[in-house]
Amino acid sequence: MDPIFLMNNVWIALCGVLVFLMLGGFILLEAGSTRMKNAGHIAGKTVFTVGIASLVFWAVGWGFVYGSEGSLIGFGDFFFGDATTMGEGLAGSTDFFFQMAFACIAMTIAFGGFAERAKLSVYVIFAVLFSALVYPVVAHWIWGGGWLAGHGKQDFAGSTVVHLTGAMAALAATIILKPRIGKYNKDGSTNDIAGHNQVFTALGVLILWIGWFGFNAGSTLEVADAFFGYVALNTQLAAGAGAIGAMLIVWAMTGKADVPTTLNGALAGLVAITASCAFVEPWAAVVIGFIGGLIVFLSMKFFDKAKIDDPIFALSVHGTVGIWGTLSNGLFATPELASVGRPGLFYGGGFEQLGVQIMGVVTSGLYAFAVAFVLLKIMEKVMGGLRVTEEEEIVGLDLSEHGGYGYPENLPQPANKTGATGA
Amino acid sequence: MPVVNSYTELKEAREQRMGAVSMNHIKLNLLHDELIAKAVHLALDTVRSERGNPPAPFAFFLMGSAGRFEQSVWSDQDHGIIFAGNDDSKSYFLRVGAEITNALAVAGYEPCDGKVMASNPLWCKSVADWQLQVADWLEEASWQSLRHFSTFFDSRVLVGEKGYLKELKQTSFSILQDNPDLYIRLIDNVDFLKKGVGIFGQLLPEQQGEQSGTIQLKQKAFFPYVNALRLLALKNKIFAPSTLSRFRQLTNDYQAIKSVESDFIELLDYRLKFRKNAQTYEEVHLIPMQSLNKEAKQELKQLMKKGYKLFSDVKSIIEKECSK
Repeated sequence: MDPIFLMNNVWIALCGVLVFLMLGGFILLEAGSTRMKNAGHIAGKTVFTVGIASLVFWAVGWGFVYGSEGSLIGFGDFFFGDATTMGEGLAGSTDFFFQMAFACIAMTIAFGGFAERAKLSVYVIFAVLFSALVYPVVAHWIWGGGWLAGHGKQDFAGSTVVHLTGAMAALAATIILKPRIGKYNKDGSTNDIAGHNQVFTALGVLILWIGWFGFNAGSTLEVADAFFGYVALNTQLAAGAGAIGAMLIVWAMTGKADVPTTLNGALAGLVAITASCAFVEPWAAVVIGFIGGLIVFLSMKFFDKAKIDDPIFALSVHGTVGIWGTLSNGLFATPELASVGRPGLFYGGGFEQLGVQIMGVVTSGLYAFAVAFVLLKIMEKVMGGLRVTEEEEIVGLDLSEHGGYGYPENLPQPANKTGATGA
Repeated sequence: MPVVNSYTELKEAREQRMGAVSMNHIKLNLLHDELIAKAVHLALDTVRSERGNPPAPFAFFLMGSAGRFEQSVWSDQDHGIIFAGNDDSKSYFLRVGAEITNALAVAGYEPCDGKVMASNPLWCKSVADWQLQVADWLEEASWQSLRHFSTFFDSRVLVGEKGYLKELKQTSFSILQDNPDLYIRLIDNVDFLKKGVGIFGQLLPEQQGEQSGTIQLKQKAFFPYVNALRLLALKNKIFAPSTLSRFRQLTNDYQAIKSVESDFIELLDYRLKFRKNAQTYEEVHLIPMQSLNKEAKQELKQLMKKGYKLFSDVKSIIEKECSK
């Protein structure tokens, strides 16, 4: 068998594993950024919803993305079971495995908007609907030969497809669910509901960072010319610049070198470079990541002021910065590297690519938001509300949804059980 | 003062008379002194009726902003008692301390969160015990013990024998003179300041919670001045507790420092101007950003920056003097 074919498949299977590892990063990031009383729930729901997303993506998701080529949606190849191997490119199953991991990531991002107050059953149902009806459509438009692909939309590893799509569903959810109890005061001021473990959050970010090399460098889908090394380089530079940008701006604006903001800055750098990592020069990766770090801070402030409770900053990190990352192609893509679409504004490409990027962001974002919003509204009607009761929210979802506790030693003893006792 | 016979009448007297003096720093603090002294005498009368006359001479002294003669319209309680003789009298004076705390609370002075009050055995001791306590604090030189010492040092006697406190301060000066390293420890103890001005020269209000959008005047504007002048007072054996007197009693070797006195006076007036209508002790130290116009913001920034510079200058001066 052709050694290049084998190497392609080894590399992409490995990258699939790395992308899958990012879910471990999300578990730590989300659990660390929220309160103790919800930690077990947040970690556990990530694992079982990934189970659901995997089965749904296998049954219909893949078919909607990569089935027969239509402009709006693919169709066919459901219940993927292709065991054949081709002589070049990727074996179908390797490709499937890699793409499935992306679908899981998009769904997990969406669930950021549900944190600390949605019912467990809501996660179950929405995992099915999102993996079947939301993610595959946007993925098809851009990666499956859909209408945006036809326009030359650049999204190398998924700033739009994965991050913005997930974030727009998170936005729909957090608007419908409303803010957590205690987030806003009667006088309109905002409280900081601090996460219970910054070390978890930081370790979560680092695991995501490592996994991102699979996400971006694996999106080469091949080992040819060892181009993945270049993609990894850009990824690393943007992540570093993002952390620095966020640390600098939060320090300059508030006088404090806030740790959660800095961590979000690293993620912002990663999200921002995801669309453009294969199309831009290293200096541009630094600029794109740095600006991502600045934007994530401003966006966090904006959502706080707008009274949109974003418990783990999914809207800012994946949404606002996902948009920036997508648009940055239209500015920085070079003629030599733009294997899809055209060069950016700063490389003599004019506004054409930027226009395509804007169109892609607007249509993809609107689709993901609108469909997620409608699905959640229907679920709200049918299920009698998406949110746990006030008592359950105060006692924490570990107890109310699972009858257990992420930190059993903090479980209130029956003797002093006097009403709601959160962590 | 009109005849006041009960703690509630004291509260009423306070309410009636505060408005007239709320814009004058000296008159305001004289009124506080008068009210607090009256509360002490009323409390003493109460204890006298229960237990008879005080068993020994004593001094009731003020600390904190009251000790420094720097109270705003609202203030919390910081006080202690020094009594002559031995520990047999302690229970009597603790009772007096508790009654004073109660009287002041009724009159509108919030009890101190940190329990720096004569009702607490730590702040109600015989002269001999106080001597040991001050020496202990300085010998231990931990974060907590130096905080206690600094609190203790901003003090003056309001009722009773003035000599005891002077003796204690004299003891402190001698210990410090023999152990100049302690000056550096005392600097470290107050060196962490909450920053009030950002690198773009913007004011830094609280970001979160019900206080968001307000400026913490006490920590961000007053503390640098107060801490700087306390350090200089310790170094130069100045007994006076008020920041203004400390400025004035510095010798002419400190001309540059002395010139900052006018800024501190401006800061005192600034607080009265913007917080005279504060309804609680909490509010006195918080200025809402939206209540400040452009000039007021500019003025506050300048006052903060001068405070930071003053503290940093004092720090270098003391470090230099100690390394000689």
